[in-house]
Amino acid sequence: MRLKFSPRLISAVIVALIVVFIGHQNWGQASVSGQTIATFLVVGIALGGVYAISAAGLVVTYATTGIFNFAQAAIGCFLAFCYWQLTIKWGVPVLLAIAIVLLLIAPAIGITLDRVIMRRLRDAALVVQLMVTVGLMLTFMGITLTIWTPKSPRSVPHFFEGTKGVQIGDVIATWHRIITVAIALLVAVALRFLLYRTRLGISMRAVVDSRNLAGLTGAKSSVISGASWSLGCMTAGLAGILIAPETGLVVENLALVIVVAAAAAAIAQLKSLPMVFIGGLIIGLTEGFTSVFLNFGTDWNYAPQAIPCVILFIALLFLPQARLETGKVRLTKRTERLTRPWEAALGGAVMIVLVGAWANGWIPWISGTTFGQRSAVWLGRGVGFMIVGLIMLSLVPLIGWAGQVSFANYAIAGVGAVLFSHWGGPSGNPLGIVAVMAVCAPLGLLIALPALRLKGLYLALATLAFAEFTDKVIVRHPKMISPTATGVLFKPMDIFGIHISSDAADRKAFVIFLAITFALLFFMLELMRRSRWARRWIAMSDSPAASATIGINLTTTKMAVFMLSGAMAGFAGCMLGLSQGALRVDSFPMFIGLPLVLLLAVQGVRYPVAAFMGLIGLASFPALSEVLGNPTWLTQVSLIGPGIAAIAMAYRPEGAVFYSGRDLAGLLPWRADAREEKALLDQRTRDQDIGRDEINDLGLTRSFTREKVAQLDRVLSIADAVDEHPMVTGVSR
Amino acid sequence: MTALLSTEEVVVRFGVLQAVSQASIEVHAGRVTGLIGPNGAGKTTCFNVITGLQEPTSGRVRFDGADITGRSPSKRARLGIARTFQKLEVFGSLSARENIMVAAEQRRAWDRSGFDPATVTQEILDKVGLADVSEFMVGTLPTGTARLVELARALATNPRLLLLDEASSGLTEEETEEMAVLLRRLVAEDGLGILLVEHDMSFVMGICEFIYVLDFGRVIASGTPAEVQANPAVQAAYLGTETVEEAS
Repeated sequence: MRLKFSPRLISAVIVALIVVFIGHQNWGQASVSGQTIATFLVVGIALGGVYAISAAGLVVTYATTGIFNFAQAAIGCFLAFCYWQLTIKWGVPVLLAIAIVLLLIAPAIGITLDRVIMRRLRDAALVVQLMVTVGLMLTFMGITLTIWTPKSPRSVPHFFEGTKGVQIGDVIATWHRIITVAIALLVAVALRFLLYRTRLGISMRAVVDSRNLAGLTGAKSSVISGASWSLGCMTAGLAGILIAPETGLVVENLALVIVVAAAAAAIAQLKSLPMVFIGGLIIGLTEGFTSVFLNFGTDWNYAPQAIPCVILFIALLFLPQARLETGKVRLTKRTERLTRPWEAALGGAVMIVLVGAWANGWIPWISGTTFGQRSAVWLGRGVGFMIVGLIMLSLVPLIGWAGQVSFANYAIAGVGAVLFSHWGGPSGNPLGIVAVMAVCAPLGLLIALPALRLKGLYLALATLAFAEFTDKVIVRHPKMISPTATGVLFKPMDIFGIHISSDAADRKAFVIFLAITFALLFFMLELMRRSRWARRWIAMSDSPAASATIGINLTTTKMAVFMLSGAMAGFAGCMLGLSQGALRVDSFPMFIGLPLVLLLAVQGVRYPVAAFMGLIGLASFPALSEVLGNPTWLTQVSLIGPGIAAIAMAYRPEGAVFYSGRDLAGLLPWRADAREEKALLDQRTRDQDIGRDEINDLGLTRSFTREKVAQLDRVLSIADAVDEHPMVTGVSR
Repeated sequence: MTALLSTEEVVVRFGVLQAVSQASIEVHAGRVTGLIGPNGAGKTTCFNVITGLQEPTSGRVRFDGADITGRSPSKRARLGIARTFQKLEVFGSLSARENIMVAAEQRRAWDRSGFDPATVTQEILDKVGLADVSEFMVGTLPTGTARLVELARALATNPRLLLLDEASSGLTEEETEEMAVLLRRLVAEDGLGILLVEHDMSFVMGICEFIYVLDFGRVIASGTPAEVQANPAVQAAYLGTETVEEAS
């Protein structure tokens, strides 16, 4: 391992300093004795075992299908609730209930997911793969919340609850914990056996190396992917059932085990099963150690919850550099041309007019409704939606153009809001906004540092870890958001002659101000898309290898886009703070980052206009709800909405804006080019009449046209000569 | 005459498999050098070593006299090494013009001659024959045309050494002939050194002045097209008599 003076080393030092500082600050009074050590080991190993089971499922699905399943823990949560329903509600015997959940329900979910959604994602862009599973995660959480409304607390009893357990020294290891560890070991051995000793397992592993090659050996890819998704769901369910007695049957707690599982999986580099179990143990033991030896004061109350994130971050520092791979380019058939500046200006103007007309009550057919009456509540919501729109806008260059999937922008906005409450906010100085943006830009970069040299999935995980760290450690420190401070932290401000503040009377002005800023930033991004920066980011995203060979420095190019996005999120954060007046410590949950990206991705992550459509989409649910008189079914639909979005994305990966835009463009009188190109594309699709599936199996990037077949024959005459050559066993020649 | 590019005893090992073993080849400015061999002989791996996408296990790469082993791909591009890829590596969501433009703009980072990227892009579009499709997104272009986009993009970096990985695959016969004319022009007028990996034997034999034959990662023969075709080791290992007759 080379540790030169590198981003990796800098981040390692920063993380180490933070860990040492926090540890030193919070060393508790517990003496280091045999008993305390035994306690910490018992707690840690049992926790580690559960984490490892969940992470093993993640790794198995990732290694065999190439998809990182964010819904893993949420599925586990759903299955744990099923288990509760069976045992506690219906009195089914424990073992039978476990069998029903793990051997019937879990595989059913796995196979359905594979059939309906996952198979379509094989060659999809990373952001699409991730957002589909994020959508599923939200859906499983939503379904669980709908079926089992959290009115009364539920709990799952420990196995052999009431029995004493085993005495180790002065410490008692409960049977539940012993069983947990035993099951974890069993799962480890069973998975190892399955993957290395059975025909199915060996084909599962072969698929990862080469799908085409595995197909030639007779392995059925449909069986394999179905099996690995079932296996993933089964481990998820097992982990859910084992951990539920410890955390309580609470949807959020159970679903967020995903962060821990992701950390353990990252330690295993998403492939090594033995390392998954070591990773799980490292996290479990660290948590056990913290709970026994460290005594976090009120300042760092929530810090222990960020432990998995810190470990995830550290694990990323030690991963080997990703190779620049070739041959992975996906060519999507998209017809589009760059938006002309006047079109972008027109679009921006339309946005201002739309939002302005709503805020002023000029849209007649909705002004009779609560939504249209522009109550202070609705104008306040309007401000919120516009700010969410701004954050989504900040994601367009980052995710849409440069292909860097980040879940951290809401957290960056949160940090921006907090910073603004210290600088400029209290005095009403607009320069504070500039200062905040200047800090948030490098902050965006800092998050990305450990992942710059890794593949995109790790970056997404690093940003998620950062968001959790911000939520649990940074903003909850009393120096950041004072729990005792009361009243409004931000003075009203006058920008461009518009008076903006958190005051209800100023909300209309605020909405219009935000619409103008949004439109300006939208226009700026559209102009930027025509610049060399955007071209370079898109080139880097489309083919990193080719970008490098034309002289693009990938690291600095990525750094630039992170800084732009960070600054934009910082600006949105200032607006967030200003609009809320006071800040609460729980205002910036890590979790929000996920649906935010989903909302944008569904609309089309490459297009600035998608941020606007996204905020309209966000507003439409409560608006529709009020117009219809708040029916409960709509609330339920909104819980399942992300799942619908997820499925939609699997079938329409470019996003709604693209598909509707393509069809609409042809209708515009001045877009003859769109009509021509569509006709050409249709023609080309008709030409490719040789079985698409077979061609995909051959691993070719595109189908043949008739003229190419003749040419293929020519090539094959040489290929015949090659085939006579003896094959090296196990090697594709 | 010293070589523009030389690899010295390059070895690339993937686990137990030796993809390239002690391959030493030279490419000279102003001529087309061919690199042929059966599938999996290590041709593309050689390209990756030369362009810095693959670290060699041992051995050196020299460009213009300087040892460039271990330099990053982008640094090598700045020195004047450009390539195309066997499996397309175009920027599919940019138009053909933008694909070339990115490279031309990037060139300004090291080439201070004050050229205008837009003008250079237009010149290259005309030269390669892509002017008609310049505004189409490359993802929608047929493979042959997309290959030309890759070539054009490589040219936009103003290279001194051009590595073409299966330049003619996906092209029609007519397009292949045009490609040959273009490559000859680049060599004769601009003095480029070209290294060509190719399966189309008539194309290789017609355009290359010097050919290396790679098999199992080793250079089993080298020489002029005539010498290579006459070499019994080559015939036995790879070409087969029929193909040789057809090509000559």
